[in-house]
Amino acid sequence: MLQAAVYSNQIVGLEDYFQSNPKVAYHFLIVDGKTRHDLRPYDLLIVPNGTDQIAVGRLKRDIHAFLDAGKTVFCFDGWFTDWVPGNQWVMDNSRKTINIRYTVRSDRHGLFDGISVEDFTFLHGMSGWWACGYINPAPAADVVLEDTWGRAIIVLDEHTTPGTLLLTASGPLGDSSYGLTDNAGTFASLARFYHRLLDRLVIPTPVS
Amino acid sequence: MIGLIFNGVWSQYTFARAAKYRALYRLIYVHDLDATQLEGLEALVIPFQSNQVALSARKELIYDFLAAGKKVFVEGDSSASWLDARWEDRPVNNYWWVTDPDNPPVSATDYTHPVYQGLKPRHACWHTHGAYTRIPEGAEIVQTNAAGEVISWQTGTYGGTLFATTLDPVVEHGIQQITHLDNYVDRMTAWLCGKTPAGEFTFAAADFGVTPERALA
Repeated sequence: MLQAAVYSNQIVGLEDYFQSNPKVAYHFLIVDGKTRHDLRPYDLLIVPNGTDQIAVGRLKRDIHAFLDAGKTVFCFDGWFTDWVPGNQWVMDNSRKTINIRYTVRSDRHGLFDGISVEDFTFLHGMSGWWACGYINPAPAADVVLEDTWGRAIIVLDEHTTPGTLLLTASGPLGDSSYGLTDNAGTFASLARFYHRLLDRLVIPTPVS
Repeated sequence: MIGLIFNGVWSQYTFARAAKYRALYRLIYVHDLDATQLEGLEALVIPFQSNQVALSARKELIYDFLAAGKKVFVEGDSSASWLDARWEDRPVNNYWWVTDPDNPPVSATDYTHPVYQGLKPRHACWHTHGAYTRIPEGAEIVQTNAAGEVISWQTGTYGGTLFATTLDPVVEHGIQQITHLDNYVDRMTAWLCGKTPAGEFTFAAADFGVTPERALA
């Protein structure tokens, strides 16, 4: 079973997205801008949508040590502070959401195999609902998903650190898509994509 | 100047850093909230996705601020541990204007309230995050949904004016996916501090990729 740490700033509904199940046990680590946590017991660190990016920024060295140990970090949030090695999210509202379309650019792990990209683009016929802004990716990172204008929306970076970074341009993902959308197709696609990330990107620590 | 209680959430940050609003709102990191941080402020906004546990631990500061005759504007969810009201979650409908445009999530609004004066119905409600099933005795109801549940209310019981709504104007405006929110947020801002925001909702690249200390400066 994977052991996942989830940073929590105690926003409403957060724990509904990450309910432990036979595949993964979730452990919520409360962030408050001061407290540090021992990340060594975990295979995966999740920075969910709506996280306290001030607190996470102050935990930068601990996160880098986690990555240096070959572990995996998922960030499904708009990280305006500078804690992600090599990659930076930037907010932007210069493009109209009605024109947003996503396409898969580089998917060496088959993360989107059998998953509808349309469900990331549209909700109830409205486009641009899922992510905001874009990512300036590290030079060696894979841009998995790009938008209409070729800007990075999902980035997989297996080169900048010894670990693995999976980043979305603030697009929310969770073990259950509870609360993200009431559209059944979108619900299924987002949850399937998240589980694909768990299956193909996270290496469980061997139990001795 | 309005204090914006900040839980480190990106949409709270982008709102406060937007060119249109940055001179009128000051981010106050919720874990740093103390009496000194509130000095000189005319109003406080507690946005959606706030840390209710941290707020509860500092609730005396909020009520001291109200007792000084100031305004406090609470958005989205809240907790009965610091607010004398009961908030309950409800499914969010943010596509009603596509599927059922004649049936918005708010069915009745008091358009005589200064925040709502001159607003069209679609500007007065985009979507709601839950509802209030109990509000303080004597509070005025400003908005309700079709089920008669309270969406927005206010009270002068604590000295100043406490306004609460399950709308999420700051967070949603920071997200920038709804283009008409200037109407609501500009009226809200003018009511809170007496100044009407001007200019465009634009971002500066220099506000991204910064240290936490720079983000709070």
